[in-house]
Amino acid sequence: MTGPDGLLDESAEDLFESAPCGYLTTALDGTILRVNRTFEELTGHARGDLVGTRRFQDLLTGGGRIYHETHYAPLLRMQGSVRAIAIDLLRADGTRLPALVNAVVRRDADGAPRAIRTTVFDATDRRRYEQELVSARGREQEVALELQRSLLAGTLAEGEAFDLGVAYRPGVKGLEVGGDWYDAFWLEPEERVGVVVGDVVGRGLGAAATMGQLRSAVRALASTGFEPGALLEALSEFSRRYEVGQMATVAYAEVDVRLQTMRYACAGHPPPVVLEADGGASYAWEGRSPPLDAHMHWTDRPEAALQLSPGATLVLYTDGLIERSDRPLRTGLDELLANVDRLREVAPEMLATTLADEVAHPDDVCVLALRLAA
Amino acid sequence: MSAVQRNNVTVHGDAAARPMLFAHGFGCDQAMWRFVWPEFADEYRIVLFDHVGYGGSDASAFDKRKYSTLDGYTQDVLEICGELDLRDVVYVGHSVSAMIGALAATRQPDRFARLVLVGPSPRYLDDDGGYVGGFSREDIDGLLESLESNYLGWSSAMAPVIMGNPDRPELGTELTNSFCRTDPEIAATFARATFLSDNREDLRRVPTPSLVLQCSDDAIAPVAVGEYVHEQLPDSRYVLLDATGHCPNLSAPEATVAAIREFLTG
Repeated sequence: MTGPDGLLDESAEDLFESAPCGYLTTALDGTILRVNRTFEELTGHARGDLVGTRRFQDLLTGGGRIYHETHYAPLLRMQGSVRAIAIDLLRADGTRLPALVNAVVRRDADGAPRAIRTTVFDATDRRRYEQELVSARGREQEVALELQRSLLAGTLAEGEAFDLGVAYRPGVKGLEVGGDWYDAFWLEPEERVGVVVGDVVGRGLGAAATMGQLRSAVRALASTGFEPGALLEALSEFSRRYEVGQMATVAYAEVDVRLQTMRYACAGHPPPVVLEADGGASYAWEGRSPPLDAHMHWTDRPEAALQLSPGATLVLYTDGLIERSDRPLRTGLDELLANVDRLREVAPEMLATTLADEVAHPDDVCVLALRLAA
Repeated sequence: MSAVQRNNVTVHGDAAARPMLFAHGFGCDQAMWRFVWPEFADEYRIVLFDHVGYGGSDASAFDKRKYSTLDGYTQDVLEICGELDLRDVVYVGHSVSAMIGALAATRQPDRFARLVLVGPSPRYLDDDGGYVGGFSREDIDGLLESLESNYLGWSSAMAPVIMGNPDRPELGTELTNSFCRTDPEIAATFARATFLSDNREDLRRVPTPSLVLQCSDDAIAPVAVGEYVHEQLPDSRYVLLDATGHCPNLSAPEATVAAIREFLTG
């Protein structure tokens, strides 16, 4: 058919041959029955070398062939079409053509599948850009992990009067690290030790950097004599003033290892677990206030005190240890108590590691366990 | 979490009948068996499941260490059998799940009565000793690249919906390519566990009578590999199907069903 201007060829033949994409028809087993001119131009294969002798999957790379057999072909069978599959075709000269491919199964009048029609789009630039994005994300992930590791690698308090164990497991949800942290430091050598576990909102480099700032701020505030409630209040003020770590949650405890007492406060954080040497495990539910700078008028952050017994264990952790989408929080809390109780005989390092490893953790998990000398 | 929930186990047919457990291979999910299992539902208790990260499984149960070797998947199969108290099992495994079934039957011989191995391969890479698996290390790296560039409906925007609602697949039905939808990281882990494994030594320890179902033109598990599996297994039958590709369960379901039936009744 010729258009009104006498130039345009709109015949079905030309629509096929000069389509702005490679176009091919194959038998169900992939044998090529027909290709258009654009496909010849894109791939450098002449139709005479393809039709009746080569199959579509023969034009793929080794890895692409596996992908074809394990994903592409099953999808085509099951849903009758595939859309926007990224796959590399091998050109006649052996170079690769990164392509995006659509395909539909054509059926006869009785509904029986007869042939596959496939369109092929050159995706060279798009693929290059995607690869740049993927590797940039990979780099950021590495940097964030490295930053987080170096921030957590600092020396923790050690002493005769207690034994300490920590564990950190990055989550598998998404690809970026989270902002969980732990810390333990002497407030008064061989007398009082400060322990903290916190959780920053967000993931990635930003969360790791924020975590570093809050961790340092806690140490700084604690070293100037702030007690738990006041420390969290001051930390919240720091968060508000410098817009860092808003809505972060923190559990902070000051343990007197000689008198075997503790004072603690939690800003929006799950309650510490206390395991008595000769009793059960229980939650320390007092001293609670909202997360840091939670945009609420909250001037007084309460703290609470507990008398511990010799050999008692204090466990701080982040919510990744108890929260799961498929069950109520209560179940997670009960399970943690039972697990801590079950692990009462093992050393704190092993206790923290076991707790962290036993949960399936889509989210980051951070655990700190401190046991007083018996 | 129970294995039944974790692996999205679905059960059909008479609970008192002999169990027939279907395991999908690397790539898609239990829908791979949709043309096969109904043919056995009158005689068997049909049990289907998804490997973790696939189909309606709970992707939050994914643990990179556990699933970086076939042992992790084998453990899941045995847990499913244990929870449902399956005995005298006819295990039907496609592709890598054929080997997973062979490993499971070696670990708990009493549980499995028969193995149907569809397109099995104990080793996908060629080696210097003359074994031809069909692939080079470079091919596997190419596959990992393909997985990375094919999110198949998986983006960070969709991930929470999919992962948070494993029991509500209708949320994902409008997504194209949904049968093979996986987190690319999970897919890459399963791909490495599959294509870099070497289970040739395990074959001769498989105590269960087995059927090797081989396609005549299979790019993933070539005929020579199917024959090798048949030779190494202590007690196996070999059937060559006239079918192209790696998925006779989809491309030639009638022949697949007939061969399995013949094996089970013959």
